[in-house]
Amino acid sequence: MKKSIKGVLLCTVAVYAQSDIDNLETKLKEQQIVIDKMQREIEKIKKSDNLSSSLSQKEFLPDISFIINSSALYRDVKNSDYYNYYIPGFFNAGDAEIPFNKERGFNLNYVETSLFSTVGPYFDASVYFHIKPDAFEIGEAYVTTRALPNSLRIKAGKFKSDFGRINSKHHHSWNFDTVPLVYDAMLGIEGLNEPGIQLQWIAPTDDYLMTGIEALQGNNERSFGYTEQNSLYVGYVKAGCDISDTTALFGASVAYGKNGADGKTTLYGLELTTNSYLDAYSSITWQNELLYREYEEGAETVKQSGFYSEVVYKASREYAFGLRYGALFKNRDIGPDDLDRVTVMAEYKPFEMSRLRLEFSHDRSKIIDGTRESINEVILSLNIAAGVHPAHEF
Amino acid sequence: MKMRKILTALILFLSTLSAEINVAVTYPYLKEIVQKIGKDRVKVTVLGSAKYDPHFVLPKPSLIGRLSRADMLVINGGGLEAGWLPPLLKRASNPKIAPGSLGFVDVSRAIDMMDKEEATRAKGDVHPEGNPHFSLDPHNIVPIAKLIEERLMELDPANSESYEKNLKAFTKEWRDFLERFDEKMASCEGKKVVTYHKLYDYFLKRYKIESVGTIEPIPGISPSSKYLIELLNKMKKEGVRLILQDTYHEKRSAKFLATRSGAKVVVLPHDIGAVKEADSLEKLFENYAERLCR
Repeated sequence: MKKSIKGVLLCTVAVYAQSDIDNLETKLKEQQIVIDKMQREIEKIKKSDNLSSSLSQKEFLPDISFIINSSALYRDVKNSDYYNYYIPGFFNAGDAEIPFNKERGFNLNYVETSLFSTVGPYFDASVYFHIKPDAFEIGEAYVTTRALPNSLRIKAGKFKSDFGRINSKHHHSWNFDTVPLVYDAMLGIEGLNEPGIQLQWIAPTDDYLMTGIEALQGNNERSFGYTEQNSLYVGYVKAGCDISDTTALFGASVAYGKNGADGKTTLYGLELTTNSYLDAYSSITWQNELLYREYEEGAETVKQSGFYSEVVYKASREYAFGLRYGALFKNRDIGPDDLDRVTVMAEYKPFEMSRLRLEFSHDRSKIIDGTRESINEVILSLNIAAGVHPAHEF
Repeated sequence: MKMRKILTALILFLSTLSAEINVAVTYPYLKEIVQKIGKDRVKVTVLGSAKYDPHFVLPKPSLIGRLSRADMLVINGGGLEAGWLPPLLKRASNPKIAPGSLGFVDVSRAIDMMDKEEATRAKGDVHPEGNPHFSLDPHNIVPIAKLIEERLMELDPANSESYEKNLKAFTKEWRDFLERFDEKMASCEGKKVVTYHKLYDYFLKRYKIESVGTIEPIPGISPSSKYLIELLNKMKKEGVRLILQDTYHEKRSAKFLATRSGAKVVVLPHDIGAVKEADSLEKLFENYAERLCR
């Protein structure tokens, strides 16, 4: 009895098992058909993908970024009077350059579009376009060598000279929205930015030592501006060292060329920048430049000098505060030698790539409508950097 | 005669000096790995100190000189250096270490990175290549060492045998360490934590520790008080007992969360040298086990 029950039970189990297996097998077959179909789809997609990618040039797109700089501005001088300002002894009425932050009210200062690409094994190319409401300018466009031996590098095209500290930097990377007074007086707000060629050498040491020479066209009208031929030569030595959490950068520069008054100009520059890290996100930067110029005008040689000194305290990733004092302390015999300007700023960066900055300056360097006037100016600027990750330079 | 011997010795000595491979690395942990494989054949210089946020190393001018004479550059990659290295590298214009050359080693290539995201800055400072903090999973050290060994062998084939030998020794040493370490970490499984930045995600995933949230709402953005309250409620609900804080971000937010939730703030170094005790790779991780699994 027991045995037969056992037998029946075993049988049922076997039958059940058999039907289960059949069931599963049919299911498997169905699934196999689905899988095969999907596989064919994948093959098809892969093939078409291959076709497009083998001709695609996407990987060779240059690095693109764009910067938008705009501001709201208050100035206690009427626009029409301000446009003709001059700095006595340095340049005349009508020669003022005001490329940005020009009008009371709102300004769209510029859109800077930059492109960078490696061009073969030997050259890199960089282009900076400045698109302004009424102009399209090639800010810079140059090639640099990639593979010269002995830490040498050549740059050719139109570029910002490495004379001095602030000259090579673009407006949006300055610590303040206005140019230092001495640069406005001697080189103009756009600085030395000229077609030419540059050779630089970096010493293979743990401390920084760089020296370079440049041959430039000499278009800069404030100090040079001879138009018959290329006539400007620049040379500099820069050295940097690190002492625990402080980094110091020294530099001496000279620019020598023909000016628009049938004479020669020699411009000397001295710079000192220190940066002390307090913690991962806060630091104090102290930046100073002194410019001295000998400007030949016929038989006379005019000797002029000015400087600026600025301190920027970066309190956190978001906030920074700065103070700058600039003065022109040596001028022509007839010109005033107490021209100066004080600027303070506070900035807020809600994110790495966006910056709001409020700046106030009190300026005693300008002649407005025939009389020397103190000018007060407040600028609230918004700067946005979009596109490839902007990297910080020292 | 004696003079000549001394001279020959000196010349030999000098020639071995100059034959050293100059290696620049972006972070301290890479220095230790390169030294383990290269031994006395390499001279290593670190560009980014562990004192600071690895995303924001100060691009000191002195780094340009060091890059310009390097024979090999080893970077973490995954976008971690994107905010400071590119202009230095461009300026150094050293063909030996230009991206794509033999001397340019991106160790992220040896790792299968997590959190590969769609690149939109609306999500903050994200890296489309994935989370770049993979070096904090100790199991990723050997693949990195292997990649460095391969490159050293290609750069300096005359000494490839010694690199191979060094890698073998290091691999064994590290695997032994991992065996002990994994055992220690086993007691930590299932813990729940909150971190400041997505810095420890590889480590937490490896040892099955659950990250409930981050103090920064999205990478690169400081938290608002409203966000912190939300996080606090989440911590209470989930029963989070640990807040993992790195050495370089602000600590106020972590303290606030700790006092309100009763959780403990644990400072974990992100690299060798970020805290005094973590003076080697093994010590760095031992520090984690000690501080996390107590």
